[in-house]
Amino acid sequence: MTIDIPALLVSAMLLAGLYATMSFGLALIYGVMKIVNLAHAGAMMWGAYAAFFFIVHLGFSPFLAPLIIVPLFFFLGILMQRFIVRRVMNAPPIASLLLLFGIWLIMQNIAYLVFSGDTRAITTPYTMMTFQMFGIAISVNRLLVFCVGILALFLLQQFLGRTYMGKAIRATAQDGDASKLVGINTERVMEIAFGLGIALAGLAGSLMALIFAFDPDFGRSHLLKSFCIVVLGGLGSFVGVALGALFLAIAEALSVLWIMPAMQDFVSFALLVIVLIVMPGGMMGLLEKLKKS
Amino acid sequence: MQVQEALRSWRPWVGLLFVLFLLWVPSSGIAGGYLQTLCFLTFLYVTLSTGWNILGGYAGQTSFGHATFYGLGAYSTAILVLRGVPPLMTMPLAGLIAALYALLWGYPCLRLRGQYFAIATIGVGEATRLLMLNLDDLIKNNTWLNGFLQDGVLTGGATGLMLPTPENISSYAVGFYYGAMGLMFAALLASWWVKNSKFGLGLFAINMDIDAAETIGVNTVYYKNLALMLSAFMVGICGSVYAQYMFYIDPQTVFGFPMSIAMVLMPTIGGIGTLAGPILGAVVYIVVQDRILTANLEIGTLKLSLSSMHLLLYGGLLVLIILFEPKGIVGLQQRLARWWKRRTGGVMARKTT
Amino acid sequence: MGVLIQGDNVCKNFGGLRAINKVSFEVKEGEIFGLIGPNGAGKTTLFRCITGVYPATSGKILFNGKDITRLMPHETCVLGITNTHQVVKPFPDMTVLDNVRVGAFFGRGWVQHKVKDAAKEAMRVLEFTGLAHRASSLARNLTLPDRKRLEVARALATRPQVLLLDEVVAGLNPTETDMMIALIRQLRDNGITIVMVEHVMRAVLGVSDRVMVLSFGEKIAEGTPKEVYTNPEVIEAYLGKSYAAGGAASQQINA
Repeated sequence: MTIDIPALLVSAMLLAGLYATMSFGLALIYGVMKIVNLAHAGAMMWGAYAAFFFIVHLGFSPFLAPLIIVPLFFFLGILMQRFIVRRVMNAPPIASLLLLFGIWLIMQNIAYLVFSGDTRAITTPYTMMTFQMFGIAISVNRLLVFCVGILALFLLQQFLGRTYMGKAIRATAQDGDASKLVGINTERVMEIAFGLGIALAGLAGSLMALIFAFDPDFGRSHLLKSFCIVVLGGLGSFVGVALGALFLAIAEALSVLWIMPAMQDFVSFALLVIVLIVMPGGMMGLLEKLKKS
Repeated sequence: MQVQEALRSWRPWVGLLFVLFLLWVPSSGIAGGYLQTLCFLTFLYVTLSTGWNILGGYAGQTSFGHATFYGLGAYSTAILVLRGVPPLMTMPLAGLIAALYALLWGYPCLRLRGQYFAIATIGVGEATRLLMLNLDDLIKNNTWLNGFLQDGVLTGGATGLMLPTPENISSYAVGFYYGAMGLMFAALLASWWVKNSKFGLGLFAINMDIDAAETIGVNTVYYKNLALMLSAFMVGICGSVYAQYMFYIDPQTVFGFPMSIAMVLMPTIGGIGTLAGPILGAVVYIVVQDRILTANLEIGTLKLSLSSMHLLLYGGLLVLIILFEPKGIVGLQQRLARWWKRRTGGVMARKTT
Repeated sequence: MGVLIQGDNVCKNFGGLRAINKVSFEVKEGEIFGLIGPNGAGKTTLFRCITGVYPATSGKILFNGKDITRLMPHETCVLGITNTHQVVKPFPDMTVLDNVRVGAFFGRGWVQHKVKDAAKEAMRVLEFTGLAHRASSLARNLTLPDRKRLEVARALATRPQVLLLDEVVAGLNPTETDMMIALIRQLRDNGITIVMVEHVMRAVLGVSDRVMVLSFGEKIAEGTPKEVYTNPEVIEAYLGKSYAAGGAASQQINA
């Protein structure tokens, strides 16, 4: 069985960009609010279906769809935080976990109700195209998705680094009480952060819908991969998320050399459990420790 | 004196009546045996629910991966039966295998706190499902391990395993009805015993403040693992019963996330950490599922298959419960009782803060 | 009077921060040993090293001659050292009786078969600490002074040889403080050795037999209360150099 390693690695890189987009939303919400957003899976899945609706039913261009989906999901996220999630902020974290799990269940089953369990896919003129670079065939679809993802992340970085709200978000993530004391409206910050998190999930879902087939159960394995990436990267660290995404994508790609393709997901699940137990600080934590010694 | 007073209360009599009714159901043949099947499922799910509650309710460690134990129990029985072991003998073995697997991954994972443990259990659940799905292919080339294969099959992959069916199916089903009922009462008894024992007190202490519990002498690692193993044992036996009743198992059903979800939903909706909670939750779960699963709804041109409605309902219930009454149905009942007392108790029943 | 707890050059680091630096100490049987120092001195950290909540980075801690440095908190509890917490940690949804029953069931008393009936022992301890009338209340409904007493009662139910009290009078008014101090004296008279971390000088200096002072993780003084509060280094640590020279501080403490 001959495997084209360079092509594999390029493909993995492209996937890493998508994985990073998928995980940032989770990392943002966890970083700011210290809660694990299980509804992230639901938001990704709805993002996929929204893209499906806009592109296939309404005939929009695949690039227009994310432009509508992102603000829509942002607004949805704010509503969720303001009316539902906020009430359990003071309860033990497991309460918010269960709450968001309930919300995920609701989201998933509304999708089953409306769209049925059939697998969907979105095909665009770009789906089958590839082009050659340095003798490696690159799927145009994946490259475009990668670019959109990277663009989104770049914009996010700018937002977090340069705007007042962005800095307020980072401050609240580091110390909620101190932020309140310096006059930051942490309620607002959490709403925005949650909205952004859901928007990013929706964006990721709409992009992934262009590459993968999906059904209402779509979010789940991707949710676990996102956890894996966020934990790998060091919970709440954004650079870490990017690194974690790269690591996982490459690990998955290379794993095909040793294990069955059907077991590929096993890699991320096992990695998640192992990293949670062994490296709670993730890769960033490890790097910090290495820096100090 | 106390016994006389107890006998005067109506509750034990109603309970006894109900148990007698349950005992009579198979011979009654109501709805052509459908009620019997429904009751059997309820017994099984009450046991499952009670088992999960020991870890999730008493000890407060929420597991989203309990289907692992259900599946292991089912597959242990199936694999052993296909190799000639008498089915009933496989039951305790199934429970034991589930408990040992629990110890294997539980010991490292239980070090994680609340929400991280929950996430880890999702990971373990999915990883185990994938493993069982692909186990045959994984070991068929390994000369040492493939001795476990029988006709090239250990777990049967996606097609699952089929067990031989007995001659007289209906008396077999009746036997299982009473067996499951007995199992349920045994589980409830065990749960009641745990709740009132030193073990249970330790679990509740761990649930409410694990650091305080540790400094006051509770060996938290030991007790958490013990609760996990007991819970796994009970759920594993249920899996075994399922395999013996259905004669067919596949990884999607017994190891699937929906099964894990069910085990979280039932006690949480019924009343987490209580004795009656898992029972109520299981009954609600089965009844709702039964009524809704086969229904269909037409709104205008939209034809909605309601087969997913029950999960939608549970999702909604879960959200409402977390937001407004974390103690579930039992909590609601307690609130109603207090409200009733205030209304009818007069001057004496004053609200205490 | 033998030495119960012996700390030998105990160090505790958190990453790059050295919280406790080579602290050696002895706690003698039957005494009330005070542990004071400015905030952040490492007092609670030392407690946690003794019980095992934090593993000491280096150094040794001996209890009755036995090395307990690497033991888990529940193990040190069963051996005879129980601590209370600075911020009280009751089991909120349990009754007061059940809270104390946990201590009775899992502590040294039960393990050494001195306690046979946990509920009875719990009631006994509640009566001793004056909480018997609240036995069936939920812990979450208690006032702060009662919660503090519950914390002590629960620890008592383990039948400890040494009781580590972490700021047990913090947040109490003078009357409540006096009641707590009286309780502590009673405990000592009943044979329990006490180590108290405290900020309220009136409380700790009035009742302790000996006192140790920590500052920035190091031991800066040890001796009788009087020796300690007239020690210029101690005064400097608390109030700064300008007070160390004058007698203003010792007047404060005597008041």
